[in-house]
Amino acid sequence: MRRWIVVFISLLVISILLDLFLVVGEGHDGFPWSHIAGFFALFGFIGCLVLMGVAKLLGHYWLEREEDYYGKNDDDE
Amino acid sequence: MMTMSNFPLAIIFVLGAMLLPLLPRQARSWAYLAVVSIAFVFLINLEAGATLSFPFLNYELVVSRVDRLSLAFGYVFVIMGFLGGVFGFHVKDTLQQVVALLYVGSSLGVVFAGDLFTLLVFWEIMAVSSVFLIWARRTPQSRRAGFRYLLVHAFGGSVLMAGVIWHMVSTGSILFNHFEGGIASYLILFSFALNAAVPPLNGWLPDAYPEGTVTGSVFLSAFTTKVAVYALARGFAGLELLMWAGAIMAVYGVVFAFLANDGRRLLAYHIISQVGYMVAGVGIGTEMGVNGATAHAFAHILYKGLLFMGMGTVLYATGRSKMTELGGLFRSMWPVLILFMVGAFSISGVPLFSGFVSKSMVIYAAELEHQGAVVLLLNLASIGTFLSIGLKLPYFTWFSTDRNLKPEPVPPGMYLGMALTSAICIAIGVYPALLYNLLPFAVHYQPYTASHVIESMQLLIFTGLAFWLVMRKLHAEATITLDTDWVYRRPSRLAYRVFSVAPASLFEAVEQLSLRLARSTVRLGANPPGYLLDTIRTIGHTFFGTKKPVPEPETFSPDRYRIPLGIMVLVVLLFLIALLAWDVIT
Repeated sequence: MRRWIVVFISLLVISILLDLFLVVGEGHDGFPWSHIAGFFALFGFIGCLVLMGVAKLLGHYWLEREEDYYGKNDDDE
Repeated sequence: MMTMSNFPLAIIFVLGAMLLPLLPRQARSWAYLAVVSIAFVFLINLEAGATLSFPFLNYELVVSRVDRLSLAFGYVFVIMGFLGGVFGFHVKDTLQQVVALLYVGSSLGVVFAGDLFTLLVFWEIMAVSSVFLIWARRTPQSRRAGFRYLLVHAFGGSVLMAGVIWHMVSTGSILFNHFEGGIASYLILFSFALNAAVPPLNGWLPDAYPEGTVTGSVFLSAFTTKVAVYALARGFAGLELLMWAGAIMAVYGVVFAFLANDGRRLLAYHIISQVGYMVAGVGIGTEMGVNGATAHAFAHILYKGLLFMGMGTVLYATGRSKMTELGGLFRSMWPVLILFMVGAFSISGVPLFSGFVSKSMVIYAAELEHQGAVVLLLNLASIGTFLSIGLKLPYFTWFSTDRNLKPEPVPPGMYLGMALTSAICIAIGVYPALLYNLLPFAVHYQPYTASHVIESMQLLIFTGLAFWLVMRKLHAEATITLDTDWVYRRPSRLAYRVFSVAPASLFEAVEQLSLRLARSTVRLGANPPGYLLDTIRTIGHTFFGTKKPVPEPETFSPDRYRIPLGIMVLVVLLFLIALLAWDVIT
């Protein structure tokens, strides 16, 4: 567990450094986030958690139903 | 004049579909591949700019219109038709082979159609042939899902027909080019959007595709939606509505995919998500946008076919496709995992795989137009894609709880099909010019820049981190998810009650009533005094608690109801007394 955390943190640091030296300086497309080093790392992390959370909430409170909600599937009419 | 440069490819497939059933059973899989190979030979001889038209009434039917846009889709359809045939080489079901040929052929028919009549005809053949790939599974679920699929597409086809006729009357032309607005083009847009599964017209796709046969779903995943993308690119490029619809659709698909339990339904939701990129690219409408949509359609058809092959192989070997029933297949089915992961990395846009060089083109087109919201929505969809297909689905299928499944052996053709498709996915990722040279416009885009590679890796690695943190808490649930197919599935029961059950029970009630009336009349006629006595006694029993009456005999007998002589004498005497009394008083 701890070893993996170390791996991820070092990947984060490396990617931010790469971002700083190779990308942000170019200012290639002029969006507000283009100048934030490591933006996509943060976006990936938070976006993933938000997606899972939103999907689970939607499913739990609204969309998920029993498998035979539309009628049993094994009868032969 | 029909020549090699404008040959309508659909003819080859229709002829092939007619000949195939006449061949010996053992030869049919080879014959299928031969037909597709012949079509490929004709395809590489087509020349951009060639057309083939016939006069028809007062119009010109353009059955073949070859240009770079139609060629790009034509190539990938023929390639996928071939790969699907390799994957399904073991199939001994003539029905599936014939309808697969018709389905591929009619898709090509739409793509090379230069006028709206030809388009409409092939559009309908696509719907009718593809439904047999669902029915061929021969389960009650697939039969019903197939009927719903057919009804939805019949409806879409009718809307298209209305639009085409309206367009023809109002403009006097049946040529299929960019539409300029008006009610006719909105009707046509509606039917195209229905086939592209743009929400809220998406319910049919995740309803039907998971119910297809193992090989049938591979075909289904490739054609209908991408033909619609082609039609949108041809008719509605630059429509801003489509850009937003596409961006929202991309996220919609991943949210629903995350809730899916059936692996093939999860993949079906990712078709919606991936088609969202293409629709967004079409909506942006610049050369980069349409190029991106075409490139992504090309790459998507292959890796989505590969993913459906992978899950189809699992279904073939274990008979299961739900994550709640799968798990621990790594030891027995690791080669399938490796091939599946090629598809998963491609769809997630991992560098060196095909999705990386195609989806980024759509995102880049949005960047060029300064559509920041679209860029972020599409990147969010990428996160969800990697989450569900790159991580969750393989985790629950090949790892997670070991359910001690004993997979059946898998025919070599299935492995070969997956291996060939994987090879193309990697080839496109490593050498994007293969794909870029086929695109409708000259490509001014370089996917392998430092910033793009770094941003993608950041996105993917930290999606992985987030998944890994919550992985132990995740568990697949044996549920289904409501989607817009609810609109015609659930109220259909109400409609069934209102229009079928209710009239039937009303008729039955009236029938019962008239029968009882008739029976009462008969009884009254057969024994009037008995009937009257019965009625009086029943009333007495019901309301005044007298003892339960013994029913009177059904037929009249004079002796039973004859009044005794003494009573008659008494009545006469009383009457005489009354008369006398009356006389005395008056």
